[in-house]
Amino acid sequence: MAETQLSRDDEFGLTEEQQLLKESLLDWGERELPLTRVIKMNQEGHPYPEDLVKSMADLGIIMGTVPTEQGGSGLTWEDQMLIADLIGYIDPSIATAAGFMAVETGWGFTLNRYGNETIQKEFIKPAINGEKFVGIATTEPGGGSDVAGFECTAERDGDGWILNGEKTFISGTEEVQEMGGAYWVNVRTGPAPEDAPHKNMTSFCVPVDADGMNFQEPYRDAGRMAISTGGFIMEDVRIPDEYRLGEEGKGFYYTMEGFDNARMLIGASSVGVTRRVLEEAADYIKQRETFGKPLAKYEGIQFEFVDLYTRMKALRLMYEQVAKMQDTRYEEAGYGDVEGKPKTFSPTDVVRWISMIKWKAPHLAKEAADKAMHWLGAAGYSDEYVFETAWKGIMSYCVGAEGGANIQKIVIARETLGPEFMPYK
Amino acid sequence: MDFLVFVKQVPDTNDVEVDEESGTIIREGVESILNPFDEYALNLAIRLKEETDEEVEITAISMGPPQAKEALRKCLAIGADRAILLSDKAFAGADTWATSCTLFKAVEKLGGADLYFTGQEATDGNTAQVGPEMASNLNISPITYVEEVLDFDPDEGTISVRKETDQGYMKVQGKLPLVLSCMTPPDFEPRIPGVKEIMAAKKKPMETWGSEELEGSSDQFGLEGSESQVISTYPPSSKGPGEKFEGTPEEEATKILQRLESEGFLDD
Repeated sequence: MAETQLSRDDEFGLTEEQQLLKESLLDWGERELPLTRVIKMNQEGHPYPEDLVKSMADLGIIMGTVPTEQGGSGLTWEDQMLIADLIGYIDPSIATAAGFMAVETGWGFTLNRYGNETIQKEFIKPAINGEKFVGIATTEPGGGSDVAGFECTAERDGDGWILNGEKTFISGTEEVQEMGGAYWVNVRTGPAPEDAPHKNMTSFCVPVDADGMNFQEPYRDAGRMAISTGGFIMEDVRIPDEYRLGEEGKGFYYTMEGFDNARMLIGASSVGVTRRVLEEAADYIKQRETFGKPLAKYEGIQFEFVDLYTRMKALRLMYEQVAKMQDTRYEEAGYGDVEGKPKTFSPTDVVRWISMIKWKAPHLAKEAADKAMHWLGAAGYSDEYVFETAWKGIMSYCVGAEGGANIQKIVIARETLGPEFMPYK
Repeated sequence: MDFLVFVKQVPDTNDVEVDEESGTIIREGVESILNPFDEYALNLAIRLKEETDEEVEITAISMGPPQAKEALRKCLAIGADRAILLSDKAFAGADTWATSCTLFKAVEKLGGADLYFTGQEATDGNTAQVGPEMASNLNISPITYVEEVLDFDPDEGTISVRKETDQGYMKVQGKLPLVLSCMTPPDFEPRIPGVKEIMAAKKKPMETWGSEELEGSSDQFGLEGSESQVISTYPPSSKGPGEKFEGTPEEEATKILQRLESEGFLDD
């Protein structure tokens, strides 16, 4: 897959290894996941093809930031963000980024960090090898972004726990049933204190084949159809204590860290989607003529194009900054030391940047797809081109997946104006 | 056993622009890649290595500017064990003959190999000459346009291949050492290096040899050592617009047939 005039300068500053990685990803995309297949997968819907999962695993890009001694590729976040960008570029329907960057890599990395050896051996390593799926189940019928308001529960039962409650709008519910695997599930292990409702939440790794796990019919989403969205009800699901993540009652903090990693990867993938959309659109507007000249000669179109392009470049710089900060965060805090804190800045400093990229990048990708459809007219509205597929897919990250836009704005406001100005205070 | 794979870094474009004054390809702003044909040749070498019980070392060699190391690093990531870059100002301006002579000197320094691999051609010059010229320098046989390996017997020192010809295919058996110039069948499709292979490539040896290391005189290299000179380079003239036949499928087919007949394409 050749570089184009729009993205050639993206090579600037990449290490030799990153350049090779980029070349491999683009070759993989051209061979395994050309746009024709992206569109077809979107039309046919889930489950996500296992051959693609396996080949991504062979490349070592699923949970690439997990240390090599734990079965990962030991990549930096800078590397993984570059990969996430390219995954968005290759599959602008965002299904691959949603399933295997945000969910498996962002959440999976964090699951590995807080999970014990049993969890790592039974679920993480097989997921890294493309043999199982691990996902995240936070949202409940009562809400998603209001993590502290969850109602699912777990009660101690001898040397284990009994889980009850319903999780909904969960990515990968069909895939996990096909491939086997587990969900990171947040539940209450004590009442929510009025002044600190985020306390008494505990995270568990729940195998999908545990007795009492009842999966529901998947939703018919507007887009990113190649990865499923569904839900499940836990009815007296008994799991051993070794499937608990970290300490009892600290699930909220682990979950926020998982969100950080998933959100930044989706930010990078959205930049990739934007680039692909603009490249495909550029090809069209440079060739298609109306009234004797190409569409690209009309300022009404070219000014819109360069506005989107400029903002895309700015967001790329922004995600590179996010990645550098996240690398420093884990380097200084220590990957294995889950209590460790970064020294150069606080984790909330990173969170502010992550929220900025998660807020802006999906919206830019959606706007680019929207504009491209307008430039192309009827052709852009059809599935002959990838724009409507991209538009419908990226919308999932605008409306709420991994935290809606307004939640990101609240986080940025909290970290800039101060927590005393929070609407929930 | 030793396998040597000759590779080249080429501009990644099918839309090459030529500087009208100098008659050379404009390389500024054009990304460089490993010649795709050479990737297939390298993959064949790796496959044969994997299929034999013999211990095999694969060395990738390239002549080019310092940035050709990028192409060699990719070879190491794909599966070569060692890489050598032949780079020196004295090598500049070489035609295919001077290139093959320079490569030959490197081969002599390495002490030769059991099998030599090249892509059928490079996508920038498309001469397809370096492979056969290497064979000439080495005084061994080339088998060109290899598209399938039928048998490889390291104990007997033989290899049987199917090669493409203008008329069809030919089965050829040869005794090692041999030069194989490879085509691009699906069987030789290059593997895509993953993260682990890319990281491992960092630790594999890569050397750079100049004219001093090759112990040759300046008239053997580069422009001075070249037997031919490029007078001018220009893109092919455009073929002009095609012709569109319209109607029902039957009508379209009839019109195409009539046209082919009138042009004499269907004559015996």
